[in-house]
Amino acid sequence: MVESIVSTGLAIGSIYALIAITYNVMFSASRVFSFTAGTLGMLGGVLGSLFIARMGMPVAVGFVLALAGGAVLGIVTEIVAVRPVLKSLDQHLYVLSTLALALMIQQFTAIEWSTDPQPFPRLFDIARGGFDQQFWLPMLACAVVIVGLELLYRYTLIGHAILAIAEDNFAARALGLPERSLRVASFALAGVIGALAGFAGGELLLAFFANAPMLTFYGFVPVALGGMGNNRGAVVAGLLLGLFQQAANFLVGGIFASVAVFAVFIVVLLARPEGLAGAAFQRRV
Amino acid sequence: MHISAPDPLLDVAGLSTGYGKISVLRGVDLNVGAGEVVALLGPNGAGKTTLLRAVSGMLPWSGRVHFGGRDLAGASPRDTVKAGLSHVIEGHRVFTRLSVLDNLLLAVYDLPRRERASRVEEALALFPEIAAKRHERAAALSGGQQQILAVAQGLVRRPRLLMLDEPSAGLSPVLVDRVLVVVQRLREGGTAVLLVEQLIEKALALADRVYALARGSIVLEAETSEVDLPNRLEHAYLAPSSR
Amino acid sequence: MDTQATQLRPSRPNVLGPVSTFSATLPFLALLLVGISLPLFGGGYWGVIATRACVYWVLVSGLNLVVGFGGQIAIGWVALLTLGAYTTSVLVAGNVTPALPPYLALAIAAVVGGIFGLIIGLPALRLRTFYFAITTLGFATIVTQVALAWQSVTGGGVGVAGPIFPEPFASQWGFYYFCFGLAAICTWMTANIAASRFGRALTAIRDAEVAAEACGISKSALLGTVFVFSGAVAAVAGGLFAALQSYITPDAFTLDLSILFFIAILIGGRGSILGPLLGTILLTVLPEFAAPLVAWSTFLYAVLLLVIVLAIPGGIAEILDFKNRRPLERDRAIIPRPELLGPLLGAPPDAGALTLDEVTLSFGGVRAIGGLDLEIRPGQVHGLIGPNGSGKTTTLNVISGYYAPQLGAVRLNGAALAVLALHRRAHMRIARTFQTPRIVGSASVLQNVMIGGTIDGEGTFVESLLSLPRHRRDEATLRNTAMLALAAVGLERLAAVRADRLQHSELRFTEIARALMMRPAYLLLDEPAAGLSAEEIERLGALILAIGRAGTGVLVVEHHPDLIFDICHHVTVLNLGKILAAGTPTEIRAHREVVNAYLGA
Repeated sequence: MVESIVSTGLAIGSIYALIAITYNVMFSASRVFSFTAGTLGMLGGVLGSLFIARMGMPVAVGFVLALAGGAVLGIVTEIVAVRPVLKSLDQHLYVLSTLALALMIQQFTAIEWSTDPQPFPRLFDIARGGFDQQFWLPMLACAVVIVGLELLYRYTLIGHAILAIAEDNFAARALGLPERSLRVASFALAGVIGALAGFAGGELLLAFFANAPMLTFYGFVPVALGGMGNNRGAVVAGLLLGLFQQAANFLVGGIFASVAVFAVFIVVLLARPEGLAGAAFQRRV
Repeated sequence: MHISAPDPLLDVAGLSTGYGKISVLRGVDLNVGAGEVVALLGPNGAGKTTLLRAVSGMLPWSGRVHFGGRDLAGASPRDTVKAGLSHVIEGHRVFTRLSVLDNLLLAVYDLPRRERASRVEEALALFPEIAAKRHERAAALSGGQQQILAVAQGLVRRPRLLMLDEPSAGLSPVLVDRVLVVVQRLREGGTAVLLVEQLIEKALALADRVYALARGSIVLEAETSEVDLPNRLEHAYLAPSSR
Repeated sequence: MDTQATQLRPSRPNVLGPVSTFSATLPFLALLLVGISLPLFGGGYWGVIATRACVYWVLVSGLNLVVGFGGQIAIGWVALLTLGAYTTSVLVAGNVTPALPPYLALAIAAVVGGIFGLIIGLPALRLRTFYFAITTLGFATIVTQVALAWQSVTGGGVGVAGPIFPEPFASQWGFYYFCFGLAAICTWMTANIAASRFGRALTAIRDAEVAAEACGISKSALLGTVFVFSGAVAAVAGGLFAALQSYITPDAFTLDLSILFFIAILIGGRGSILGPLLGTILLTVLPEFAAPLVAWSTFLYAVLLLVIVLAIPGGIAEILDFKNRRPLERDRAIIPRPELLGPLLGAPPDAGALTLDEVTLSFGGVRAIGGLDLEIRPGQVHGLIGPNGSGKTTTLNVISGYYAPQLGAVRLNGAALAVLALHRRAHMRIARTFQTPRIVGSASVLQNVMIGGTIDGEGTFVESLLSLPRHRRDEATLRNTAMLALAAVGLERLAAVRADRLQHSELRFTEIARALMMRPAYLLLDEPAAGLSAEEIERLGALILAIGRAGTGVLVVEHHPDLIFDICHHVTVLNLGKILAAGTPTEIRAHREVVNAYLGA
């Protein structure tokens, strides 16, 4: 029983962590949180099921196409919901524009795809049981993304440029860095990461439009707890969240597990609004 | 008026700009010739930083700005950098999470890799104190060293015109002199410099010409060789505004 | 210009509140008429739709104060609809308690809603926008899940029967009139709040929080109040909803519904009553016009929201704002009338000096100001100048309470002021303006100035809600005083104009008028001359001198040496966080070091 809690917990936690990273990558590039992060996760599963199960494409092709779909949605988010708002005086508009976009996609999926959860194909032809692929696929995806991002930020020039934009947007612009293309690229990257989360977690979560609001919330909890823009904190918080949720599920049942997660979330946030690892928010007068 | 035989490298005429509804600059005229060092002086709030930001494309503006014969209307900072105009902003803002080397590499982001490396080495040769720390993160540098790094970022591109916004701010006198020696060498090498400075004496010692900006427009333009300059500057700053 | 030199009450343009003039009331009367006469031309089907619109509006009217006026992104308010619906139904059904009459059950639901409204809303005081939005979503999900799980009380997935109200409200049309009546009452109440100091204070918190605090507005008290009201009203809507549905299950309370409420407010326009009302009607009725639209309704709402946010952030209210499309006079001059300051400010304040006593403040290891001694006396104009980074604005912020000094104290009459009790400074009659004007762009100039008088109001929230006499007296006094303040600074002709249409210099004077509303003993001006023309600076100088003569102690932080030397009795020069020199303007002008500091030698 403990094994089951741990493997499911870590798997779901990995998915939450990946969505949290999606939020963070978008935030680093624009200082904005987007409601589309959870929707990207949902799309990863839906597109995977659509291409592989329904349209019969090979797994590799379906995988690439699903990630491409995520990249496209990431770019659309930047162009439609973020860029116009960054120019305006009222910064809070981004909450509304990204919410509107996320809703549009969720509703479209519900109507055109299905309102019921659809099965997600088995990716590798291995028998079920034991430490099954539905558990280690998300964990693998999470590890790959963490390592990949680390390599990107540390060893590539474009990764450095992205860090520069995130740290001091104004100085980066003055230096002549292509700020806009870098932002679009970051959003595309975030899109790929979100879609990957949903694809890798497809068997666990199924291809279901309602995954979007669920992932929007549970994917944000690690961001809030780990500190904005802090990927390492997000991963740790995500994994812990997954384990906590599964343990609570087992001990007190599904409904009260949600209440427990939420209660902890609220309490931590109220005690430390900047997250457990984040820096305090200085008010400008 | 200073008359140079060829057209000036930087030609600004009737420049007006501001932030939102607040207008800061009202019809500024200024020019910098190739290889000249021009100092831009003025009290706080006069608009010196705003002027540099407008010229480099960080702010929208109206009027006329020509650089090397090219019209800079609508140019972004990326365009102006590519055209050979480097702007070192105020406040030694370098990227603290990246190494000195990476900070410099970012300044030549769009050049091919081999060129990037050689340009960066060139810039580091000018500033041995940060060359020694090339692999350290910028956060580990002192404020003065960070300012030197920022100036180096401006130089990596071998600009035709380098605009420096208060490079001496926050630096110890020793480091101030270091930076100004570099400016001197730049002039000898043919790079033009537009220097915004608070330290009047040092700026006058280095520059060929000086402009004074007060209350949004140019109130004085002179060669630094002219007599009685400090006094005239003082009057220009503190004079009552026209009624 | 003004031939009657003795006329102290300037002519007033038509600047009354949103529901007080006939043209503003007309749309509401029209809707009232249509609503009352609905049974005459609509069939039973439209009756149900109309009832639903009324029920939704009951909730949205309250949420409007939170979202539209208060600017809080509370997306998950369906949680309160759920709470209200189940509370009413369960109490009437008698599973848990003995069966209660429906009206009593509804009242109890309102109380429960009020409490939970406060609980759900409180995080807004600590959390940033996006974080708060996410927590409200979380609440909505939790409440639905609890409804699903708590089978013994709520019937779980099977659900519970909704309440039936006694005659004459049991029939379809009878129930319609009941809901319509409640909707009308809610419209009236929230419109009263909109035209009260609470409504204006809410918009101030939304758009200019820092300025709101400087005017003495307590964000927590005000938001707490509207969360309670909004929660109570939403719960009542829940009870009505349950009755309308006749039978409720947890999946009737979808997130889609929450989104509908939220979007109705945004489509309608923030800071308006009529806009969200029309928005609610629109969103309820729209899907009924074509069958396929029902399935796509939430999609359409989202598209509408996106379009509004990107193209017309002001929503329907902005579209209907014909008054503000009229072009403004071109060459407007600001001509203050200092003679009005006497009647405006009243008797000179009976206060001693406001002093800074060895004040020291550092930010993360960098000392901003060190060992600062400063004295502001009533009746005197004190200038504070210095180069960039010398600590002028920091000093101002310490005096007005935004920063607490690490050493030393700010004293009033010798007694140290409590630190960081921001909004208490207004009660001590310390007023200020800001470097960049902080105003409510979508409100009129007059409304902006009235915000300055918020703490003078005596009426409570409930009195405003019900438009009781004390509220009306408050409003009339406030309006007259604000017009006087506008006349004193020279802006009375622009009183009814939307503030964001004004030029920068006019906004600066508006801020001064707002500060004068507090009848300040001490007025702190942060670079008031920035961006003003030479003429305007002259007039500003005369105004400041007159304010000083009326008894107020003025501190002017400035760059422009001309203004300072002309009007100040006393000047302090800062450099690198310390006092470089202090004395009369003549002394300072000749002071060698000061000149050097300015020239940076």
